[in-house]
Parts: sequence; C-alpha cells; structure tokens
Amino acid sequence: MPASSPSLRPSEKPENSDFRVDLLALIPFLRAFARSLTGNQEGADDLAQETLVKAWQSRATFTPGTNLKAWLFTILRNQFYSDRRRAWRQAPWDQEAAERIPGGGEDQLFAAELSDTVRALRRLSDEQREALILVGAGGFSYEDAAAICKCAVGTVKSRVARARKTLIDILDGADTLGAVARPAEGDAAREIMAQLDKLSPGRTDDTGAGKKRSK
Amino acid sequence: MMQQWETTVSNEEKPNEKSRAIRARQRAIGRELRRMYDDVAQEPVPDDFLDLLRKIDDAEQQKSGKKVS
Repeated sequence: MPASSPSLRPSEKPENSDFRVDLLALIPFLRAFARSLTGNQEGADDLAQETLVKAWQSRATFTPGTNLKAWLFTILRNQFYSDRRRAWRQAPWDQEAAERIPGGGEDQLFAAELSDTVRALRRLSDEQREALILVGAGGFSYEDAAAICKCAVGTVKSRVARARKTLIDILDGADTLGAVARPAEGDAAREIMAQLDKLSPGRTDDTGAGKKRSK
Repeated sequence: MMQQWETTVSNEEKPNEKSRAIRARQRAIGRELRRMYDDVAQEPVPDDFLDLLRKIDDAEQQKSGKKVS
C-alpha cells in the first residue's frame, strides 16, 4: 500500500473538488439533522459520517445545480431508518429494552441537559418529528421537506401542524403524556381529516393528507 | 382549503385569543427547535469527519491509481 498523501490531488477532476467543497460546508447541517433525529451525539455523528461516505460514493447520481443539502438530508434520513431497522432485526431483544426505557437510555442521559421542548420532541412520532425539524428548524420549504421524506407536500404540512400541536400538549401535560387532557386530544386537525375523508371519498389527493398517515 | 377548515373549527371552539396564545407558543417552540439545531450546526466539525473524507480520498486515489498505471 503506497503512503497516502492528505493533500489535494492535482489530478482530481474539478467537479469532484467542487462537490467536496460543498459537501464539507454542509457537514455542520448533517450533524444537526442527525442529532435531531437520533437525540444523542455519538449516534448522530456515526450517522452523519455514514451519510458522508454514501454521498461521496454516490456523487455521480447528484445533479449539479440542484439542492445538495436536500439530497444529503435524504441520504441521511434513509440511512437513519435503515440502520434502525437493521438494529431491530439483529437484536430483537433490544426492542424490549427500548420499551422499558422510554426514549432509550442514551437519550435520557442527554435529556438532563435539554430543554423541555427538545425533550418533548423525542416523544413525537418519527414522521412528525422529522417534518417539524426540517421545516421548523432546518428552514426547508414544505416542498423540499416533502421530497426528503418522500411524501406529498400536504402530508408534510399536516405533520408539521400536528407535531406543533402534540408538542404543546406534551408540554402542557408536564410530567406524563397520560396527563394530556383528552378533550384536547379531540384535535381539530384530526377532526378535519376525518371530515375531509367523509366528505370527499373520491377526492384526488392533492393535499396528500390522507396518504401514509398511519404508521 | 385546509386553512379555511381550521379557521372555521377554531372559531367555533373559542374566539381569537386562544389561537393567538397558541400561535405565540408555537413561535416559542420554533425558536427552541432552531436553537437546538443551530447550536449543533455551529459546533466545529470534529476531526473524525475530515479524517474520514481524507480516507475516502486515499482509497479512491489508490483505486484510480491502479487503473491509470
């Protein structure tokens, strides 16, 4: 094996070095998104690094001039869910442990330093959490967030709205989710959905609100 | 369309004051989430990441080096 030189290769294709510069600049955001998804630093950095490797390997599939950040976030998100699926398959007993400890052990360690809001974020469904993070923290448009989450724009909108509402409910419930008042659970958004479903069963799904709702 | 429905429902429930309060809380939550996200994004990138890119590079260099020579 020849000794490796860390310096830039003179022979490197210019588009590769452009891509690399852009990639480097986006690492902080990959880390932020990963941290928001996993809720812990170590797992997040592993995830962001896996993403980096995947992105570099698949750079030929990236269309220059399109949104590199959204492209990277899509890779990261896919990686997050596939890692988790694999973890569940390989260690089915972990599932039990995970259920015993809400949020997982590591999450809890970190939770001590986190604000109530950030802690409450961990209790959202994956779908609501990712939508809220992308739009509410990452500054993505609903359209880009929809592309990243592979769902309709309307679905993202309703997930973000429900996520915000659920967060408030959790924060109001203070200690336990069970303390969230049931009347509030008769959630306007859900009622609207139900009404929409009833009113127009044959509607074309232009909002996408009815799609992929359950999980 | 969505918005129309929401407005209708919340108006029936209670006057605007409640929805104003909710919006204010949502803004506060939004600020908190952005703070969490920005805090991480502003951290210096750990060396691991740069090492990783370098390693990928080296691996590729070897690969292409083999092809060329």
